[in-house]
Amino acid sequence: MKKEIAEFLVNGRPYDVILEAHKTLLEVLRDRLDLTGTKYACGTGECGCCTVLIEGRPVLSCLTLAVTAKKKKITTIEGLANGGLHPLQKAFIDYGAVQCGFCTPGMILTAKTLLDETPQPTPEEVKFALAGNLCRCTGYVKIIQAVLAAAQAMKRGEK
Amino acid sequence: MAEELSVVGKRLPRPDAAEKVTGAARFVGDIKLPGLLIGKVLRSPHAHAKVLKVETGKAERLPGVKAVITSKDMPRKLFNAAFWNMCLADPEKAGEIQDQFIFDNKVRYIGDAVAAVAAVDEQTAEKALALIRVQYKPLPAAFTPEEAMKPQATRIHDFAEGNLCWPHVPFPFGAGEVEKDFAEADVIVEDTFYCSRQKHAQMELDACIASFDAGGRLTVWSPAQLMYLARRKMANFFDIPEGRIRWITPYTGGGFGGRLAFNAEPICIGLAKKAGQPVKLEYDRHEDFVAHDSRTPHKMDFKLGFKKDGTLSALKIKLLADAGAYLGQSGMTTAVCMAFGLGHYRCPNTAGEMTIVYTNTPPTGGMRGYGNPEAMWALEQLMDVAAEKLGLDPLDIRLRNYKKVGEPSALLLPIQSLALEQCVEAGAERIGWKEKRALTGNGMKRRGVGMATMTHCSGAAPLLLEHGNAALKLNEDGSVNLVVSPTEMGQGILGVLAQIAAEELGVRIEDVRVVLGDTDATRFDIGSHASRTTFVTGNAVLGAARQAKGKLLERAAPMLEASAEDLEVRDRRIYVKGSPDKAISVADVARDAIYNYQQNCGQITGECDWESKVVSPPGQACFAEVEVDTQSGEVQVLRLVLAHDIGRAINPTNVEGQIEGGAMQGFGYALCEDFVVDTRTGETLTDSFTAYRLPSFLDLPEIEGIMIEEPDPVGPYGAKSIGESSLVAVAPAIGNAIYHAVGVRIKDLPITAEKILKGLKQK
Repeated sequence: MKKEIAEFLVNGRPYDVILEAHKTLLEVLRDRLDLTGTKYACGTGECGCCTVLIEGRPVLSCLTLAVTAKKKKITTIEGLANGGLHPLQKAFIDYGAVQCGFCTPGMILTAKTLLDETPQPTPEEVKFALAGNLCRCTGYVKIIQAVLAAAQAMKRGEK
Repeated sequence: MAEELSVVGKRLPRPDAAEKVTGAARFVGDIKLPGLLIGKVLRSPHAHAKVLKVETGKAERLPGVKAVITSKDMPRKLFNAAFWNMCLADPEKAGEIQDQFIFDNKVRYIGDAVAAVAAVDEQTAEKALALIRVQYKPLPAAFTPEEAMKPQATRIHDFAEGNLCWPHVPFPFGAGEVEKDFAEADVIVEDTFYCSRQKHAQMELDACIASFDAGGRLTVWSPAQLMYLARRKMANFFDIPEGRIRWITPYTGGGFGGRLAFNAEPICIGLAKKAGQPVKLEYDRHEDFVAHDSRTPHKMDFKLGFKKDGTLSALKIKLLADAGAYLGQSGMTTAVCMAFGLGHYRCPNTAGEMTIVYTNTPPTGGMRGYGNPEAMWALEQLMDVAAEKLGLDPLDIRLRNYKKVGEPSALLLPIQSLALEQCVEAGAERIGWKEKRALTGNGMKRRGVGMATMTHCSGAAPLLLEHGNAALKLNEDGSVNLVVSPTEMGQGILGVLAQIAAEELGVRIEDVRVVLGDTDATRFDIGSHASRTTFVTGNAVLGAARQAKGKLLERAAPMLEASAEDLEVRDRRIYVKGSPDKAISVADVARDAIYNYQQNCGQITGECDWESKVVSPPGQACFAEVEVDTQSGEVQVLRLVLAHDIGRAINPTNVEGQIEGGAMQGFGYALCEDFVVDTRTGETLTDSFTAYRLPSFLDLPEIEGIMIEEPDPVGPYGAKSIGESSLVAVAPAIGNAIYHAVGVRIKDLPITAEKILKGLKQK
């Protein structure tokens, strides 16, 4: 099987990985880089639990071949806190938006893109932005509250 | 509860949240061990077939394959996958049937396990599966209970004539003379309802790691909701003493009853044993749909008799349940369905009968609510039918018939506390019941309001073993290690128990570090199910904290020159009641107990072994407002109001989270979740989230939870349960609201646009 040494830029750090062509980004992150915050829950792009950011955009890492992500800026949940929790992380804690926590990493990263692009979203915009992320525990109510609260905190300049 | 509480009742962040928002929280699938192999299961493509031969030679010779196991490698012991039923004194008497081998010479549904492999990586394991040759002799199959009960039907299990697993079992807690009363009733309502195979659809797939150490001791990592019972059942199955197994349950990515029976565990242990190396076995989502149980579907005949004034006088329930290929928990969930059906209304004449049938479909079992949502789907709609016949408001007919405190519960013990009437009142006011019920629409889109109610349990005493344990110690800095055994599967029990301990010990929640999920470190507790952990384990924590507090104050007393009875501890300080200025810190006393150089050591600890012997049901009223499009049949749920009798909310944010999450599972059960097995082939057609539609953000109605706080006499700080309740009454509330809007009554779940259109046409 063909292998190459591929460079990945994850959470601001370069990693060299011996990569087989068929490996998904999810497999590289979880199995090779030990970044297990990114979750596998369907493998078919239906639940959003494996969401990571590539160049700031959310992608489903279970459907992304790792070779296509070489040398691109990848952010996983482990890389979101920058000297302190991100306002979204704080708000998810404070508003009770976390239950089992399995969908949480994908949910927070998808919400980050929303707030980067739409700093003051309406509840409807939050719902549409997160519609591809399933949560079986929370009933979504507190996740929406948390994203809106994080938007307010970021407006006030809390980083 | 004289003085104000400082920790209990507060909206404190749950202690596990920080790990979960940063990706640090570890689930079974995240755990790695040196030499860890990957396991895979070979599953049957046939719904019913004899397994004539399993050839594994080629697979075994594939480089990288470390073990291939078939029926020859597993104990030839009949088995029931539900470990939950170790809570029963005599499972067999209670109807548990051991009807399953791990790998049999017969397969009974598409997805039944035939063999398994363990290899150095996933790809090799998959290749090895493809190299196993199985010779099947297909047999005729039956895919519905009706088909399976026909005289000429194929026999799925040798012992079960007519494929009847439990034939015509009467409900043991019936009372009075039902038939006589029906003959004398003024109004009788009866109908047949159907409920569906709801999937738990927890986000974390099933996973297990099994590892034997050099001395032959087994460690298992699994998301079991009841780890001690899981350990005992695997100990019995593999003939290993319990103490030779260490069972570890880390954070679990959702349970909902989906981890009350074994999934990956027995096969994973079998693989690790044969390979002599640790093995990880993870299901994929397809396997979760085809080979992990789902809510047992029932055909439910309900018949209710009333007096003219609306008093319920007779209630008869007849259930026909589809167990799927193996009994698992489907018998017990059906029995519990009947118990809840006879639960919250006073009724002198009750009777029930259940029949459980095998089919060549995936096994069914228990899911959040465990029979209660099923029963309420029928009963709470028929209460509305009766109200209409009697000319009563749906609220009035219910209020007339609710049981009161002190009356016997469905399981005969008296009800300790119940605030169902307050729930109805509060919910009705919030939804605007009077005004909205009076409105009748005649446009294309019509609105309606409906409601339904329920009671549930706070632990399953006296039916089940209700045993919990807690132990704690104070460290020299005044921090606390609390050792308990429920599974933290998202419900927030870790924080709830920390809040109870902190309140009683007079410290802050961040001072309490909870240790759980390891049978080598914790004490026995049956685990997380039956909405029990706040009530039962919470009481054990309270007992342990009280004991430690007693020791803390005894030691502090001479330091403060006062007697222990006069002392109070609050916010990490101990002082004489009424004079908080002269105080000593909890840390100073705790340290003195550990590092006492005057030969007076005695670390401050507490322990409590607690068993529930009471029935403290929470009540809930769910109100729904819907809009029905009479052209398309589509239903939009505008609003759900759920008023819940919580006793006391240990953490209101948590309680709301359970209400909202449960409500959305109830919404899915009512409207969009539909598990479909092809009745010609036995194939599961809904094996993905595209085919099996979970509610998403876009479905979300306005949801409002109301907490009614009337303290229970036994619950910790008066608390009762919330875990399962909020799924229970949503579907019948929506069903009743649809009837109010357009006059169509849907009796089979889920409610779809097609069914509503059909109903509108038949009007």
